[in-house]
Amino acid sequence: MVEALPRNGSVDLAKAFDKLKRSIWVFHLNTGSCNGCDIEVLDVLTPYFDVERFGIKLVGSPRHADLILLTGPITIKTLDKVVRAIDAMPRPRLVLALGSCGVGGGIWFNTYSTLGGYPKLQELLKSLGVEVDKVVYVPGCPVRPEAIIYGVALLLGLAEPKVRYERVEAVEG
Amino acid sequence: MVSDIIETLASVARGSRSKSILTKVGEVCGDKLLKVERVSPSTIKVLIKADCLHEVAEVLSAERDVYFRTMAASDERPAENLFKLYYVFGIDSEGTNIVVEVPTDGEREVPSISDVVKACDWYELEAHDLMGVKFSGRFLKRLVLPDDWPEEIHPLRKDITTEEIKKLYQPQVVKRAVELGVEEIVKIPIGPYHPALHEPEYFELYVRGEKVVDARYVGFMVHRGIEKLAESMKYDQVPFLAERICGICGFVHSVSYTQAVEEALNIEVPEKTQYIRTIILELERIHSHLLWIGVALHLLGYDTGFMHAWRIREKVMVLSELLTGSRKTYGINLVGGVRKDINKEKIEKTKQTLKQVLNEYKEFVDVATSVPQVRRRLSGTGVLPGGEARAYSLVGPTARGSGLSRDVRKDYTYGAYHFVSFSIPTYSEGDNLARTLVRIDEVYESINIIEQLLDTIPSSSEIKVDSWEPQPMKLGLGNVEAPRGEVIHVVITGKYGPYRWRVRAPTYQNLQAVPTMLRGVDLADAPITIASIDPCFSCTDRAIKINIKTGKVEFIPLEVLSRGGVR
Repeated sequence: MVEALPRNGSVDLAKAFDKLKRSIWVFHLNTGSCNGCDIEVLDVLTPYFDVERFGIKLVGSPRHADLILLTGPITIKTLDKVVRAIDAMPRPRLVLALGSCGVGGGIWFNTYSTLGGYPKLQELLKSLGVEVDKVVYVPGCPVRPEAIIYGVALLLGLAEPKVRYERVEAVEG
Repeated sequence: MVSDIIETLASVARGSRSKSILTKVGEVCGDKLLKVERVSPSTIKVLIKADCLHEVAEVLSAERDVYFRTMAASDERPAENLFKLYYVFGIDSEGTNIVVEVPTDGEREVPSISDVVKACDWYELEAHDLMGVKFSGRFLKRLVLPDDWPEEIHPLRKDITTEEIKKLYQPQVVKRAVELGVEEIVKIPIGPYHPALHEPEYFELYVRGEKVVDARYVGFMVHRGIEKLAESMKYDQVPFLAERICGICGFVHSVSYTQAVEEALNIEVPEKTQYIRTIILELERIHSHLLWIGVALHLLGYDTGFMHAWRIREKVMVLSELLTGSRKTYGINLVGGVRKDINKEKIEKTKQTLKQVLNEYKEFVDVATSVPQVRRRLSGTGVLPGGEARAYSLVGPTARGSGLSRDVRKDYTYGAYHFVSFSIPTYSEGDNLARTLVRIDEVYESINIIEQLLDTIPSSSEIKVDSWEPQPMKLGLGNVEAPRGEVIHVVITGKYGPYRWRVRAPTYQNLQAVPTMLRGVDLADAPITIASIDPCFSCTDRAIKINIKTGKVEFIPLEVLSRGGVR
């Protein structure tokens, strides 16, 4: 599922985004996940899937990253760090929300100590004025390594999405 | 009256060890010991008044083969107008659990036992946080909940629902962020590296020059409210929740939960179920240990080893998918059975794959452990003496690396482990190398166990019981030897789902000993020392370094630390 966000009409940003086709650097942001998705993220970096051959590289700071791999349902204790990490990224900011938890809170969507997935975080980010330029949701519990690679390809426009996110309002009567 | 109870004590005892220990408990308690009963073949429940808890703890901790296993606090006010604390002590040499039940009204303080049972420290803090139980004779501080959590809300109490908690607790971080606007947040100095957490746990290391003087753990970032969530679920939904506690060793949690419910309700599971569960558990151990070996080598800067370990591990993941239908988070467990059978074809394929894994693993391990840099970095660092390991009731490879031959598979046997023969690798040096070698040897044992099980697996297709009846307020314990150590679940049953469910993961027990291991090591050896207990650790974890001389605080990714790259 792909959700394209408005680009604020900024020409430079659109240009920067178009140039972003390969060798993207990713920052792995665990927001209270069970480690299931996180080990699959490591799995795609190691020999069997080996995404480093596409130039995808894990970096240690969000300031160096083009893309955030967000796993977990976002616990309240990690929330302020998560907001700061996303804010520290340079534009264009890309987010890959991984796993059932990242997509919508998963099994934790209604507990007292989690925010409940990326969509809730995005609302918060919007209210804080932190723009995120493009989001791709990759569901799965845990997410499959193939799906992570496919998600990155979708983000960069290397593959055509098969499904599209559309929010439908219920019609009365 | 007292003599009656001592007589009952002797009659419920399982063997000579539990008899002599229970008699000692009876003697120190006198008439404060209210009731003794045997709730299952391996579990004896002792009801005492809170006043003599400390004396009981002293008696039990003085025994050499008794370890503190877990403590569960339960809100039983709806039924009895009381809170109850269940302290679980295990007699390793006999495989018997002694559950010490302590009632409290929530107002009066319960004596703290963390001075005699060091391992109980966090359990008391957690009960205080989540259940509002007060303890006397110790310093109480926040452990699990966020810092700005209101004092009077205790989420695990029964009189408060998740919806109410959400109304009462508005995280301050959100409010503050909205008030300040994002411009202000940007200005908060965050140092050269961003402290955003990868693996949501970090250590503060206090250093003098290059030597670590002391360490403090700051954590519980992943507190997701799982135990409260389970109370609103039905029996058969919880195994799926339990598996999501940990994405690396989730199956141990679902097995542990189902075993606890099966013990509480007296459900006999078919033999084939036991076989299937055991095979998957061992498969999980292989993948988890390979993962750990890879990450450990990566932390030592030997990335070739990391890549090879994960290459071999991929075969195990594909095998898991064949047997269970998914690479991780298998979802095949139910109370009273499993959902997927293992047929002849799968047995053959598994044997083939294991043979390949064994060959490749042997070749890889022989090379990796003979690399001189790896050996020298591991040996003599992060030493944990056996005595300390005993005091903290450590579990798993961490305890076995310090010479304690503790293994739940042998001591409190479950599943199909009594059908196979295997050994427990133990090393007595207590350093990082010992803990590594324990894990390396265990992979061979696991492959051996699975091969034995596949040879003798029953051919029947009965893999679950047809139906069972829940009964409220029964106590059950379930334990499993996870890759990281002993997992123990306490379940108190309810009408449709668990009334109270307490999860104790091995890292909970082992992390408390890490500061001891860290004292006196070089800063560059700190990451591998922390990783040596296998705390569900991803390679991008971070530490905070406080220089005692200058008072400067720096945030450093552990990876950089381990290469000695920080000056």
